Parts: sequence; C-alpha cells; structure tokens
Amino acid sequence: MERRETVAKLVVAVLFAGTVVATAETRKEFHFKVHRRASVSVANQFGPIWVKPSSGEEVVVTAILHSDKVEVDHTYSLNRVSITSHLLSGADAESGRVEYQVLVPADANVTLHSATGPLRAERLHGDVILEGNTANVDVRDLVGGHVHVKTLNGPVTLTNVSDGHVEITSVGGDVALNSVNGPLVHVNSTSGRIVYDGDFGGGGEYSLMTHTGDIEATAPSYASIDVMASSTEGKVENDFPLQPTHTSLAAKAGSAFAGTMGKAASSVRLLSFSGKIHLKKR
Amino acid sequence: MTCEEFGRVLPELEGDHHNNIEQEKHLQTCSFCSGLVSDLNAISAQARLLAEDQEPSLRVWNSIALALRQEGLIRDPQVSARLLGSRLGGWKLAWLKPVTIALVVGAALLLELQRIPRGTPVAQQAATSVPVIGSADGLSQGSAIDADQVQLLNLVASRAPAMRAGYESDLRAVNAYIRDAETSVRNNPNDAIAQQYLMNAYEQRAMVYEMAMNRALP
Repeated sequence: MERRETVAKLVVAVLFAGTVVATAETRKEFHFKVHRRASVSVANQFGPIWVKPSSGEEVVVTAILHSDKVEVDHTYSLNRVSITSHLLSGADAESGRVEYQVLVPADANVTLHSATGPLRAERLHGDVILEGNTANVDVRDLVGGHVHVKTLNGPVTLTNVSDGHVEITSVGGDVALNSVNGPLVHVNSTSGRIVYDGDFGGGGEYSLMTHTGDIEATAPSYASIDVMASSTEGKVENDFPLQPTHTSLAAKAGSAFAGTMGKAASSVRLLSFSGKIHLKKR
Repeated sequence: MTCEEFGRVLPELEGDHHNNIEQEKHLQTCSFCSGLVSDLNAISAQARLLAEDQEPSLRVWNSIALALRQEGLIRDPQVSARLLGSRLGGWKLAWLKPVTIALVVGAALLLELQRIPRGTPVAQQAATSVPVIGSADGLSQGSAIDADQVQLLNLVASRAPAMRAGYESDLRAVNAYIRDAETSVRNNPNDAIAQQYLMNAYEQRAMVYEMAMNRALP
C-alpha cells in the first residue's frame, strides 16, 4: 500500500515537472545605449509588441519567448537598434510566439512589424511606423511625430495623437480615431469602417476614404472646417448647418454635401464608394 | 529567358516596346511577368490622366520620405516630408505617387523573383499550383483572382498556410475596389474624386503585395 502511494507521488511529480518544462517561457532582456532620435525596429511574426518611453537614453527590450523554436536576433550600430524574432524549424504561431515590451527614448523613431500583434505604442514623439496583418494596432498619446499604420485586417485605434502626419492604410480593419489632429490625417481603407471623433483641429487636411465601409465623423459645433462628403452608391447624412461653398462636387441630397463651418481652417473629405457617411454633431 | 533575367531588364522596358524577341517570347509564355508588365503599364497610364499642373500632396512627399527612411537612404530627421516637399515643391510631379507605388510593387516582385532558382520559369511553378480563379464567395467577376495573384497566394501558403485565405479575401476585395474605381474613372475622366479612388485602390493592392512578400509578416 505504502509502495503504491510512493509510486503515485512519483508519477504526479514527474507529470508536474513535465508540464513545467513544456510551458516554460524564457525571458530575455537587452539594453542598448542610444542618442537623440534613435531608430528602433522590432519584427515579430507572432505575438505582441508594446512600446513605451524610457526614462533615459537607453533602449530596453524585454522578450518572453514561448518555446525554444524561436530566438531573438538583434543588431546594434551607432544609433540604430534592430530586433527580430527568428523562427527556427518547426515553429508555428504558438511556439514561435514572442512577447516584447520595449522601452525607448520618447524621441526615438520606432518601426514595428507583427503578423498577429497586437501592436501598441504610447507617449512617444518620434515617428512611428506599425505594420501587421491581423494585428490589432493601438496608438495613444503621441505628439509631434508622424504615424504610419498598415494592416490587412487588423483594427486600428489612435487616441490623443497630434501635430504629426497620420497615414493609415488598411484593407479590412476598422479604424477609430479619437482626438486625432494634425496637418495631415489620411485613412485609406477598402472595406473597413472609419470612425473619427475629434475637432478636426490644426488647420489640417483630413481625408477619410473607403470603398465599401461606412464613415462616421463626430465633431463639436465649434469645429472650423471646409467639408466635403460623397458616397457614390451609399447615403450621406449631415447634422451641421453648413455654409455653401464653391466646389466641383455636385451636391446631391442624400449622396453628397459640401460646405464650411466657422473659419474653415481644416479641410475634411469624407468619401465612401458604397458605404454610408454620417457627419455628426457632438 | 528566365523570369529572373526578365526581371533584370524590366526597368529598361518602356510601355509595350520590348527590346528583343527573347523578351517578347518570355512575356507570351509567362503569365507572371506579363501580368507585372501589364500592371505597371496600367499604373503608368493612370498617372498620365492626372492634370499636368497638379501639385503632389503632402502625403506624396511623406510617402517618399518614409520609403527613403525605411530603406536607410536618409537618416537625418531634419529631412522631413515637409522639407522634402518644400525643396522639390516647384517640380510638377503629380505623376510621382503612382509611379512610386509601381516602383515599390515592381521592386518587391523583382526581389521575390530573384529568390526563384535560376532557369525555373515562374509560369512553370504556377502551373503546379492549385488555381483559385473565380469568385466562389459570390463577389462579382471584377474581384476574381488572376494567375499572378494565384502565384502570390501560393507563396504565402508556402510560408504560412493559415494566412492564404485571408490574403485571398483581401485580394478579392481590393480587386473589386479597383474595378469600381476604374469604371468610375472611365465614366467621369475629369472627376478628381474618381481618380483618387483609383489611386487609393492601387495603393491598397500594392500594400497587399508588399505584405505578402514581407518575410517579417508571413
């Protein structure tokens, strides 16, 4: 009886140890000294990348590798840091997964690639380039840098982004812009829904275009815009009393409108080929 | 002539004028290269539709600056898109954007072609693949996948089989976008919005191609 118990305990212990080994994650940390406006790029096929500002002139990369079928390669020269997940033979989306948390000087230019994501960048003021297939992209609290996002189907959310060029290209991902202002804000989508909630400030050029997706733009009554909206096959709706303006766009009730509000500081173009467009008053 | 050899002379070709019989022969037998040439010609033709005196937007300069920075050709943050724009602002380069897109797509395809073993015609490889032509998902004919795109999908499948379906769906959607935009431009050749739709649609397709061939995004 006693012997049976001992064997059972042994089996449990072996199973437990096996489970621990199987699920063991490896944590790696890299430190790189950099100067002003460093370039930092991270390419990770499977898994999230989260970039935040560091306190000094240093790039700190923390990587959690989910198996030994993936390695982290890095290149460091002068002011450029490049991190790449290197998939080894037999790696798949699970075993090849790496989770990155990257701390960079706030003025660094950052480029992130991940097929699955999510990708997140916050509180930076350098240029930020994010690319992913299905990756969920979340950018927040960026000032002064350009933001370029490309996804196939990953949804894109920008919150509190100002004073830089914002360019988003997504085939099918929904795009949400909350308090996004700048000299140029451009969204190009095929089937994604585009939602803008802000004041179209900064005297910028705002262009939201999609083929079949809907566009919903919400602005306060004090917005200063020269707006034009058109849907070739869909409907348009406008909550604002617009002043007529001279435009080449033929205003058609229900499918196109154009006009100005306030001093018309910013230009706003809302264009969908077959989706609905709604300019809403907040 | 192999696809790789054709890829090397492609930048020197202009429109439908091909320099020798070998090139003509290759184009007749290789759907991939002939499709590539036809895409480049289409983009180039659309570029000519733009008004000669139309200034490129900030976005164009921005894209160029971005591409240069990504290639490591410029590092100085001072050389921003706006600066580039102001330096070259006097130029009449409205055609630059579609040409840039075409170059990016072309370069990406050429890079991929260089990976193919010498002497192996791409068309031959495509012939061994399962065709996806048609519109099984109910989308109209304009969204059908052509032979070049089948090859691209096969490339994606060889690296990440699970992603093929997503790429196929995206290509169909983008093809439908291009079809609608082309119809719109044909019906309203002077309509700036129609032209913008077409540019955007091509940009979308260029992005799908670019991502399909990006090893960092399998």
